[in-house]
Amino acid sequence: MSTPETRKQDVEHPGQDGRLQGDHARSARPQDRTPILMARQLEKTVGSGSNAITILHALDLEIHAGESVAIVGSSGSGKSTLLALLAGLDTLTRGELALFGEPLSSLDEDGRARLRAGQVGFVFQNFQLLPTLTALENVLLPLELSDHNVDTDQARQWLVRVGLEARVQHLPKQLSGGEQQRVAIARAFVARPALVFADEPTGNLDRATGDRVADLLFTLNRESGTTLVLVTHDPRLAARCDRTLTLDDGRLHARASDHARGPDTAPPSHEPEGVDH
Amino acid sequence: MTARLTPDAGPPRRRPSFGWGHTLRLGWAGLRRDLRAADVRALFLALVLAVAATTMIGFFLDRIGSALERQSGQLLGGDLVLVQGNPFDTQVLDALEDAGMTTARQVNTVSMAGFEDRFQLASLKGVAPAYPLYGSFQVDFGDGVETTTRLPDRHTVWVEPRLGTALGLSLGDAITLGDEQFRISGWILEEPDQDVGLASFNPRIMINLPDLERSGLIAPGARLTWRLLAAGPPEAVSSLDSQLEAWQDRGIRVIDVRKDSPRIGRALERSQQYLSLSGLAAVLLAGVAVAMATRRYVERHLDTAALMRCFGASQQQLSRIFAAQLAMLALTAAAAGAVLGLVGQWALLSLLVQFLPLELPPPGPLPLLLGMLTAVAILIGFAGPTLLRLKQVSALNVLRRELAPLPAAGWVIILCASLMFGALLWLYSGDLVLSAGLLIGGLVTLVVLWGVAQVMLSLLLHGATLLPRHWRMGSRQLARRRQSSISQILAFAVTFALMALIALVRTDLIDDWQSKLPVDAPNQFAINIQPSQRDGFISALDTITDSRSEVYPIVRGRLVEINGVTARDAVPETARNDGNLRREINLTWAATIPDSNTLTQGAWLSNDNDQNGQTGTRDAPVGVSVAESMAKELSLGLGDRLTFDIGGREITASITSLRKVDWESFQPNFFVIFPPGPLARFSHSFITAFHLPLNQQQALGPLIQQYPSVSLLDIDAILQQVRDLLRQVSRAVELVLLFVLLAGIAVLYAALTASRPARSHEWALLRVFGAGDRRLVRTQLAEFGWLGFCSGLLGAMLAEGVSAMLYGVWLDLDVRVHLSVWLLMPLGGAILIGGIGYLLSTPLRRQAPMESLRLLGEG
Repeated sequence: MSTPETRKQDVEHPGQDGRLQGDHARSARPQDRTPILMARQLEKTVGSGSNAITILHALDLEIHAGESVAIVGSSGSGKSTLLALLAGLDTLTRGELALFGEPLSSLDEDGRARLRAGQVGFVFQNFQLLPTLTALENVLLPLELSDHNVDTDQARQWLVRVGLEARVQHLPKQLSGGEQQRVAIARAFVARPALVFADEPTGNLDRATGDRVADLLFTLNRESGTTLVLVTHDPRLAARCDRTLTLDDGRLHARASDHARGPDTAPPSHEPEGVDH
Repeated sequence: MTARLTPDAGPPRRRPSFGWGHTLRLGWAGLRRDLRAADVRALFLALVLAVAATTMIGFFLDRIGSALERQSGQLLGGDLVLVQGNPFDTQVLDALEDAGMTTARQVNTVSMAGFEDRFQLASLKGVAPAYPLYGSFQVDFGDGVETTTRLPDRHTVWVEPRLGTALGLSLGDAITLGDEQFRISGWILEEPDQDVGLASFNPRIMINLPDLERSGLIAPGARLTWRLLAAGPPEAVSSLDSQLEAWQDRGIRVIDVRKDSPRIGRALERSQQYLSLSGLAAVLLAGVAVAMATRRYVERHLDTAALMRCFGASQQQLSRIFAAQLAMLALTAAAAGAVLGLVGQWALLSLLVQFLPLELPPPGPLPLLLGMLTAVAILIGFAGPTLLRLKQVSALNVLRRELAPLPAAGWVIILCASLMFGALLWLYSGDLVLSAGLLIGGLVTLVVLWGVAQVMLSLLLHGATLLPRHWRMGSRQLARRRQSSISQILAFAVTFALMALIALVRTDLIDDWQSKLPVDAPNQFAINIQPSQRDGFISALDTITDSRSEVYPIVRGRLVEINGVTARDAVPETARNDGNLRREINLTWAATIPDSNTLTQGAWLSNDNDQNGQTGTRDAPVGVSVAESMAKELSLGLGDRLTFDIGGREITASITSLRKVDWESFQPNFFVIFPPGPLARFSHSFITAFHLPLNQQQALGPLIQQYPSVSLLDIDAILQQVRDLLRQVSRAVELVLLFVLLAGIAVLYAALTASRPARSHEWALLRVFGAGDRRLVRTQLAEFGWLGFCSGLLGAMLAEGVSAMLYGVWLDLDVRVHLSVWLLMPLGGAILIGGIGYLLSTPLRRQAPMESLRLLGEG
């Protein structure tokens, strides 16, 4: 079992053969009760003086390795802001936040980016594929950025797993929305990250495509044993997570009923088949 | 019921009309909000630069140009110089004065100057009040050199120091001229119209005209030249054009500063061409920046336009609002640019003032108007097609982004911009054929460059896999963003090429001038060396200087027949008054072609005339080489037979070659060169040119005394004047170059700023996926570095091609390959664009990715 300290070293001194990165994923198993993400009195304010608006109020939060947590709330409740803060994409105004045991406020942009490299995957509502890269190159991106061995076959395998073996050399603009999101999912998991953030992953898709994409996301998450933090306003999607946290006007409420359910009680999923358009 | 449904509740509500006042208010409000946006700032900056460049160079050209023309006038003595063998009648004087010219009379003659028992031939220049019209004298009155514009006092003269050396004179001595004695009150070192050609072999004496008249030297039979110098504004000179022709027909020789600038004529003309070229380059640079900034501006406003369409704005209203907004932007930029241009030229001139002893005319309003017009023209031409997209926006675009109107095709933008630039060219140059030619040439070139850029990007895409992993991503991004990369590469290549061209032309122009006037250019001519003195004089000369030209024989002859027909009848009508027909010309012989000449047609003279029986009779003409300029003027070609009258005897020659002669080389030059032999039987003397530093010229004293009949002509002062002028022009040229370079860099910066949003999205995503600073920097450096490299390489091709054309056709310089361009431009481009890209991306690296872009669905 690796401690947060050894993980930090791993990030800064990656192994030659990529094994250490694999260890991150393995270390983030349910038996490890060290929170992978921990927030204390987290607060986010925008603007200043009399124009200041507090978006998040004194949030406390712990997410453990292997958990899947849904953050739900109405529009404007601060869900996406919270996700951005947790992933180190934005800076907090007050409080403490630690990712993999590393206090994010002690790191600069560069340090936060390096902490994410290879350890954190993302799935966005609007896919966010790099328009100039092919599907394969988009999937390779996290490997390239994390100093993993850039294994093209491995990336190709992931595209096969999401059912896009015929679309490997296509550019994002040549793919449908569902296909783009499946590339994004392959990209999120390719580096075997410890943690995946998903922001309304089905928000831009029709219901049938959305269902298939959601199935794919939960299946891969279960198989990889990855921690999943999912922001959504879709109760069906939230229900598939271990835990649901509700954000209401910048304040967090845990739903006890969800809390009881373990990771193994997720609803049955089916592997994606065929290519949706 | 039906009736109630019809609009009986009153007339239908009229669509609210948008008055111009309302449109302007809306436009102004939009513009004020917009000033925060990088693209509007870039657009504004580019327009300000364009106007500043055109007004600055316009003002500069206008003022320096007229000042340089005056300087050149100073070398001639006036803007117009009329010369004849008799006094000028009042009719000529009145005509000049009526046209608004100031005039000064001058009489030149040659006479013996006597002191004690010694005599020396001297050139007398009798001058009347108002002289000098331009410039001043440098006179040593015994207590140091003084710059003055007053004339010698009555009963006194100023003489050239070499007359003093020849006669052993001191200040205060009295010399005899004609019937009178005159006291020497000063040594004259420099005078404005010194460059009267090699006719002024004798040392100069400057005398008051009434004194000259009193001396009795102005008498029937004396060899006198009357010169009427006139100075005035260019309009006044132009208004006299037809009168000048009439005077020429009457046998008056007219020297016109516009056509006959002595020696420096070409330099002056080329420097002005250079300045205009720089002005156009700056306009084109700014146009490129405007085109690039507009793209971003339009993309940013598509949503606004769609919303306005939703709320009921018609296409016409939309067009009006955006037109009003941009017109305000253009006018504000034009005003700012004009002020900047005005301040800029003042700053430049104040920097230059110590080097420019020129009296500058005040700036005129024309450059200002041209600057404003340029701003509007650039906006319409370079931004117009892109802006039309805003008008075509549909309200549905609010709901569905993909319905945004297609961007204007690249070729439409280029065509429209080229047409507008062609129109500006036409406006500036006044030459429709030239402008159209340049335009078509430019378009063809762009098509070629577009193809080359395509190939470059394909190579980069396929070659990217060979690059180190860290550099791969940036290269790939550049190559994949094909269309926008190509438009940037083309824009930057044009920018680099223009910057390089302006720099190259500057260097080559100045090199060309310097090579014509090297430090050891001959500053003395020795003429009238008799055959018996030749060897002795030359070996004596060689002991005091080691920089001497060849020694050429001179035979004076008059061209009397061409192909057996009287010369005057054989040449085109326009050449009948050509000086080469009316007076004796210098003929020489040489075994090899002189250094400053190049053979352009035929073969150099063969030396075996005697063996072939070519003795110079009409039946057996001897082969000669003729100067190209003379051949052109008199319509002569290879094989034409020329008969010369030399002291009553004739010799006939057949043209076997034509030579290009560099008349500005300050070397002995000849219209006609014979092979050695045939001319030797005629009476001849020798000429040579040599360089002797000013501080060693006392070594000439013994030489003059040993060979009194040899005349020495000192052209140091002329050389110095020409050098000074060229130095000033070079400085002006360098300053303009600096400005164009700065404009180019500013344009690159503006263009990259405008394209930053597209790139920042990708950078922020890389950050999200964990790219550290090093990785981001390498990716950005690779992308910008390759962009700069490709642009530089393409720019080098363009610069080399255009310079070859410019040199050959326009500037009359030797075409050459510039290796440095091929090396420096791609590397410099990579460093420059890489550097600017690095600077632009620095804030993004410090920013949280969330601030760089809205990645997430909602807040």
